[in-house]
Amino acid sequence: MALRDVAAHEFPESGPEAGLREPSAKATKGGLARFTGRRLLAAAGTLVWVLLANFFLFRLLPGDPAARYRGVRNIDPAELARIREELSAPMWNQFVGYLKDPLQLSGISSWKGEPVWDLVGGRFWPTIVLLGTSTIIATVVGVWIGIKAGWNRGGRFDKASTGVTLLFYATPEFWLGLILILLFSTGVWIFPGVFPSRGVIDSGLDPLSIAGIQSIAFHTVLPATALAVVYLAEYSLIMRASMVDELGQDYLTTARAKGLMDRLVRRRHAVPNASLPTITLIFLNLGFVIGGAITVETVFSYPGLGLLTFEAVSQNDLALMQALFLIFSVSILVFNVIADVLIAAIDPRIRV
Amino acid sequence: MSLDEQVSAEPAKVESVRAVSRQRRRASRRRFVAAFSKQRGGVAGVVLLAFFVATALLAPLLFPSDMLDVTRTISNPANAPPSSEFWLGTDENGRSILALLAWGARISLTVGISASIITMIIGTLVGIGSGHFGGWFGALLERLTDWFLVLPFIPLVIVLASVLNSRGVWVMVAVLGVTSWPGTARLVRAQTLSVEGRPYLERAKVLGDSNWQQMTRHVLPNVMPLVLANTTLTVAIVILSETTLGFLGLGDPFTDSWGTMLDRASASGAASTGAWWYLLPPGFCVILVVLAFTLIGRALEVVLNPRLGER
Amino acid sequence: MLRNGRAGLRRLAVVTAAGLVATMAAAFGGVSTATAADGDPVIFRVGMLQDVDSLNPYKGITAAAYEMWALTYDSLTKYGAADFAPEPNLAESWDTSDDGLTWTYNLVQNASFSDGTPLTSEDVVYSFERVINGKVEKTNWGSYVKQIESVTATDDFTVVMQLKKVTPLMERLSVPIVPKHLWEQVDENEVRKYPNEPDSTPPGSIGSGPFILTQAQEGQFYTFKTNPNYWGEAPKIDGVEFQFFRNADAMVQALESGEIDFADDLDANVFAALEGQPNIEARSSVYYGFNYLTFNAGAQLVDGTPIGTGHPSLKDPQVRLAIHYAVDKEALVSRTLDGRGSVGTSIIPPLYPEHYEPEDPVTYDVDMANQILDDAGYTKGADGIRTMPDGTNPLVYQLYARQNSETSQTTIKFLQGWLRDIGIDSTADTVSENRLYEIAGEGTFDMYEWGWIVEPDPDYQVSTFTCDQMSYEWKDGTIYAGLNDAFYCNDEYDRLYTEQSTEIDRDKRTAIVMEMEKMAYDANAYIVTEYYDYLQAYRSDRFTGFVPQPDPDGAILFQYGIYSYLNIEPVTADTGSSASSEGSNAGLIVGGAIAAAALIGIVAWFATRGRRSSDADVE
Repeated sequence: MALRDVAAHEFPESGPEAGLREPSAKATKGGLARFTGRRLLAAAGTLVWVLLANFFLFRLLPGDPAARYRGVRNIDPAELARIREELSAPMWNQFVGYLKDPLQLSGISSWKGEPVWDLVGGRFWPTIVLLGTSTIIATVVGVWIGIKAGWNRGGRFDKASTGVTLLFYATPEFWLGLILILLFSTGVWIFPGVFPSRGVIDSGLDPLSIAGIQSIAFHTVLPATALAVVYLAEYSLIMRASMVDELGQDYLTTARAKGLMDRLVRRRHAVPNASLPTITLIFLNLGFVIGGAITVETVFSYPGLGLLTFEAVSQNDLALMQALFLIFSVSILVFNVIADVLIAAIDPRIRV
Repeated sequence: MSLDEQVSAEPAKVESVRAVSRQRRRASRRRFVAAFSKQRGGVAGVVLLAFFVATALLAPLLFPSDMLDVTRTISNPANAPPSSEFWLGTDENGRSILALLAWGARISLTVGISASIITMIIGTLVGIGSGHFGGWFGALLERLTDWFLVLPFIPLVIVLASVLNSRGVWVMVAVLGVTSWPGTARLVRAQTLSVEGRPYLERAKVLGDSNWQQMTRHVLPNVMPLVLANTTLTVAIVILSETTLGFLGLGDPFTDSWGTMLDRASASGAASTGAWWYLLPPGFCVILVVLAFTLIGRALEVVLNPRLGER
Repeated sequence: MLRNGRAGLRRLAVVTAAGLVATMAAAFGGVSTATAADGDPVIFRVGMLQDVDSLNPYKGITAAAYEMWALTYDSLTKYGAADFAPEPNLAESWDTSDDGLTWTYNLVQNASFSDGTPLTSEDVVYSFERVINGKVEKTNWGSYVKQIESVTATDDFTVVMQLKKVTPLMERLSVPIVPKHLWEQVDENEVRKYPNEPDSTPPGSIGSGPFILTQAQEGQFYTFKTNPNYWGEAPKIDGVEFQFFRNADAMVQALESGEIDFADDLDANVFAALEGQPNIEARSSVYYGFNYLTFNAGAQLVDGTPIGTGHPSLKDPQVRLAIHYAVDKEALVSRTLDGRGSVGTSIIPPLYPEHYEPEDPVTYDVDMANQILDDAGYTKGADGIRTMPDGTNPLVYQLYARQNSETSQTTIKFLQGWLRDIGIDSTADTVSENRLYEIAGEGTFDMYEWGWIVEPDPDYQVSTFTCDQMSYEWKDGTIYAGLNDAFYCNDEYDRLYTEQSTEIDRDKRTAIVMEMEKMAYDANAYIVTEYYDYLQAYRSDRFTGFVPQPDPDGAILFQYGIYSYLNIEPVTADTGSSASSEGSNAGLIVGGAIAAAALIGIVAWFATRGRRSSDADVE
């Protein structure tokens, strides 16, 4: 998915818009600071849109949130009335109420009856652990494969790895998760069932203790792998593509002619330049990986934000969903800005 | 054969402009096919896709719809492993998994292609519009695209799928089509800007072509090849998304797609009872179809943009 | 290139070997293994598929929540393990006046809350008055106090209740007795947000029950330790831990690997896989729940206004009867329950004495069904679909299944096929339970599938077919559902309901209830499809002494009581638990070693390459 988005993300050295200069965004001259400033301003505008979208998207949701009381008799009519009144006020009133507290800091989850941010707060760290671990794995392994494949383009490694990575790219990450459970948790045939298939930590352990950290690591291996494999494929394909692009560059021919070792040339020149689209991709993907995290966390019952999203949707919990959607949107926004600033920092041509 | 050669070969005929351009198009199509067939990945993708399309079309013949009717399969064993009668075993209602797979291909392909067509149309319109028109309108379209890209895809799709109460296949198509267009729009916009920088378009403007004529006669044909390549890749993503939605229980359980098959496999405990015949085949099918579209899309990109061909 | 390649391989081998050795040493040396030995606390770990929605007894409604409260708090009476008969609990004895309007309860004198405060009649009075005067408190407990006019403490351990009208519920008072000194700090505005957890303000889950909540991790686990000062017979275990699983798969694996000792509410599939496994007792118990199909037999508001989009044919009892004949309940029991259950009839399940068994139950008979419809004038059109007797309005029904239930979706799939066999077409949709509740209220359906869990006292269940439980309209015009989703309304039925609610004599009351069930069955208000068994499994090599309710085939956990928790004891402390921890230790070591070695290998690879190349740096 992000293969296309990277190409479209105004990266000038590969893809169909190579050599293209975007007049509107790059009209003014200026340093990195000015670029960052402009970018942040644009981001602020996008934030406004995000807040608006967040509100309207969820007002489309039907469902009687008080319905979970079905089967429980004699709910006090006044209590029922209060719940209903709160949740069925006219749209305009609700919008005004929303603007007063767009972050839903005082929102109450209709599913659990607790403040929304109490629920969200406890789910942050597992998702961060999961995303962090899988991003590291995907980046390290993917980039390594990409470099190797791109440098020896057409070689055996290249052909084999491209085939394998394309296969990985086509794999649904939740299915991979199920297979990993089958192989490494249940254990079939020669595969050992050693890893746990749910949760993030064994009960009773302090997450900050040695035993706790070991337990977390142990629980994170399978979900992180499931999540990493797809993005690993993307990173390796992109890295390879941009390596190949770089290989065609004149300065490399010069360096080689000078007699520099291949590996040096690769490390000092080709890789840094070829890294640009990959870095872009990593940050852009941090937003999309969230989507993958939802299914992986569901398969592994990994108690992070992704699983909470699915539960909130299942329970028609308006306030909770809104808070989560906002978190995700803002994360993507932040990562996009970081990606743009990083590109500008690395490649001065873009700021101009 | 170049145009000159054509003309000199038949000096007696007066070639109309139409005939000439028709011949040109035919020639370029031949070139295209020739170039494409050199792409081994693309050819493999086409073969793979052809297999699945054939399966989808032939499903009603090979596996009569009664085989999917739970009231007609009562006497079949449930959750049976592969046997001579049921090559891939049966599901929890005694239905042949092979039959379910074949019928599932119809859903995946239909949803994938339909949603991608929607994406293509919206994305192309917005992309060309934002690239061609300057001023506030173009900027607005560009902002719109960017804003949509900021919304997280899977959560957005999940929310929309649960908002719309009906879980039918066409609801899925609409949801996926409406959420996937920004990527295409961005690409089209960039390409539009590139095309518009070319001299002959300047000339067309000067000569008095209207906006519409410029966009349809000049920009669109130059943009379309890339859009097609991109759309092919979009199909891959749509199919993955549809499978994901099905797995999360947001699909339509009354139409058996690969995603809902995986949902039911997981719900009936396939991973812990070791029912690999229920768990593996739908996933493999998804992988293969997505792979097919990815390979074709990549090959199209290479063929349509020779610069990429050096890879 | 060749030169680099060989050198590279060699380097990789050395580095990885070093990494592995180092990690192994670290792993064996540093990994803290948790082997169970004699003297370790005996914790009973339960896996469940439903999460606690709130530990606050006035807020939560899930079955899992009820189980937590049952361990934490006591009530005046309890349901006996053998047959649900009322038994003393906090009230060690009670008495009633001749007219049945005054009830006196004598409390045990040695009960105290887990913070040390003695439990007195003041706490009992407070707990009841809280519900009587409260709003949100009435959600779960209101029905018990409906007829109570006043509650007074005549001395420290005696409570007297005055009733407005006679009611059989006075021996069934499940209202939890909470500590007054803590709960009076939570007023009516705060109670909605009060989580009642150990770290809440004021400290929560302080009860007089046999277990004390020590840790609550929403969405993950809930830990209890035994109450050392419990007034009753002390449990033989040291604590209980509930772990929440989101899918049955994972829960079963945890049971097999020893992560948990008990797996609750299993699917028929995974249950079958567990049967016959060594050290695991897979137990199918009779249960008090049923699944049903309901009809839109004329949706209307309480005041009689017709609502909704139900097909008019369903108002005809003959049509409903015909459809009942077209449903193959045996097939459903076989497919949806894997045979673990029985064919359904009336709305009070067979394990209760009030169950009504029809003498001539409706069977699966497609010909009969077709016959009935033909005779009633619903002739088939050219396309094979029946129409109303006047030839219009072909019989096409809108069916709904529940999103989160396999059984529901399978049942509706079957129903579609069966309806087709008798000339009725249908479209089916799957919706969330919240949405279905709305649809039910508005009457925009023809048939759907759901289920009920029936309490030991039949009052609640039979009340669902009373006229005033139909939908009602709110002041903003929205229509909300009551409990009557069959829209069955019959004056005689309502009269009988009032009669049974004030009948103290057990036998007389049972007769009245059975008559009501018969009326509903004959009218085909519901098609009760199946009574499902409750499937549980536990590690028989770990714990023994489970108490079924009712005797002998009932559920052993998640009952109307906590008998198993009070009675189970470990089989042998050593063998079971250390075997599992060995298993998980080996896994930890192997897994950790592999992962660490790989990581170290990769890092070392990059590092050493860098060093070598700087030697040959020629720039």
